[in-house]
Amino acid sequence: MKHDLELKLQAWLDGELPQDQAAPLGQWIARDSEASALVAELRAVKETLPGNETPRAVPDTREFYWSQIQRRIERETPALRPERAPRFGRWQRYFLALAGVAAAACTLVITLRHAAPPIFDEISSTSDSMEAVTFHDQSGQMTVVWLQDNSPQATPKQPLLKTQGANQDEGSPNVEIQ
Amino acid sequence: MEPNTAAMTEAELVKLAQEGKMAAFEELVARHRDKIYARAYSMMRHDDEALDLSQDAWIKGWQRLAQFQGESSFVTWMTRITINLCLDQLRKQKRQRAESIEAMAEESGGVERQMPVVTPNPTEGLERLELRERIDRALAQLSHEHRTVLVLHEFEELEYKEIARRMSCSIGTVMSRLFYARRRMASLLAGLKRDKLE
Repeated sequence: MKHDLELKLQAWLDGELPQDQAAPLGQWIARDSEASALVAELRAVKETLPGNETPRAVPDTREFYWSQIQRRIERETPALRPERAPRFGRWQRYFLALAGVAAAACTLVITLRHAAPPIFDEISSTSDSMEAVTFHDQSGQMTVVWLQDNSPQATPKQPLLKTQGANQDEGSPNVEIQ
Repeated sequence: MEPNTAAMTEAELVKLAQEGKMAAFEELVARHRDKIYARAYSMMRHDDEALDLSQDAWIKGWQRLAQFQGESSFVTWMTRITINLCLDQLRKQKRQRAESIEAMAEESGGVERQMPVVTPNPTEGLERLELRERIDRALAQLSHEHRTVLVLHEFEELEYKEIARRMSCSIGTVMSRLFYARRRMASLLAGLKRDKLE
């Protein structure tokens, strides 16, 4: 049998032939034993397969299977389908954004302040007989300068105190703070 | 509070999923994941590939949910996506593998041309479980091209024209592949029956 005819028999079986061709071909198939046998074979497969596919289940648990899909959806399509936020949520988001900017600004200012090198003003003494001991308290932001006048004229021997910072005191005229 | 998606109808779940509710989509996946996986497996005949492609199909489904208008059922729509992904994958694999004599004989029929017609129906009188096993073993022995055309025509009930469009080939090629695929199936099913009797 020619292959074209075989395909025509199959098309007849599958209902893919136009009606005007299908009817006479059907009559011919009924009369031809070879054609009938071939059609019977094709029909057996055609009718046996549907509904007899082996059922198969996903080998992973529901949670694991979904978690992989969800992760890829979030990674590959973050902008396509965002969860629709309620109106209140939108205002909340604006507020949070502003609060975030303000917090960042505060953090920046504080960081810069702390990161700045401590200010140690230069202390110079105009007298050769003057001794100076300096103490700087980083946490208290305070500098204490202990001055001792060893000149013969100096009486009594009392230290002159100069502080700089939070508890700044007026200093001795012998001391300059630049 | 999260809605109880398990109690919802498919239409309700689809609508919620189209609005971006992941919980609704998760429920749809849970309901149909086995069918989608089974279709991918029937075309690829490989566990890992079927699993990956079924997940790809769900991701694509999520991305295209807005296009689903309900002309078919949701699972039919998802199955079509799965089939297209499997066909793409098979095309890639075909490009990668060298053209063998067997592959070249796909449309010309190869040994099926000389096979005697199988009569009577070799599956008659079989229990359903046994019949399914035998069909599965026979399908596993077909070439990708023959198996694909059988799956699309016999299981998915697509017409020649639609199969040709999806497989990017002519209607004549579809008819020829389907013819030889059926003949080979008949032969394999008869052979499996003989093996069982011996």
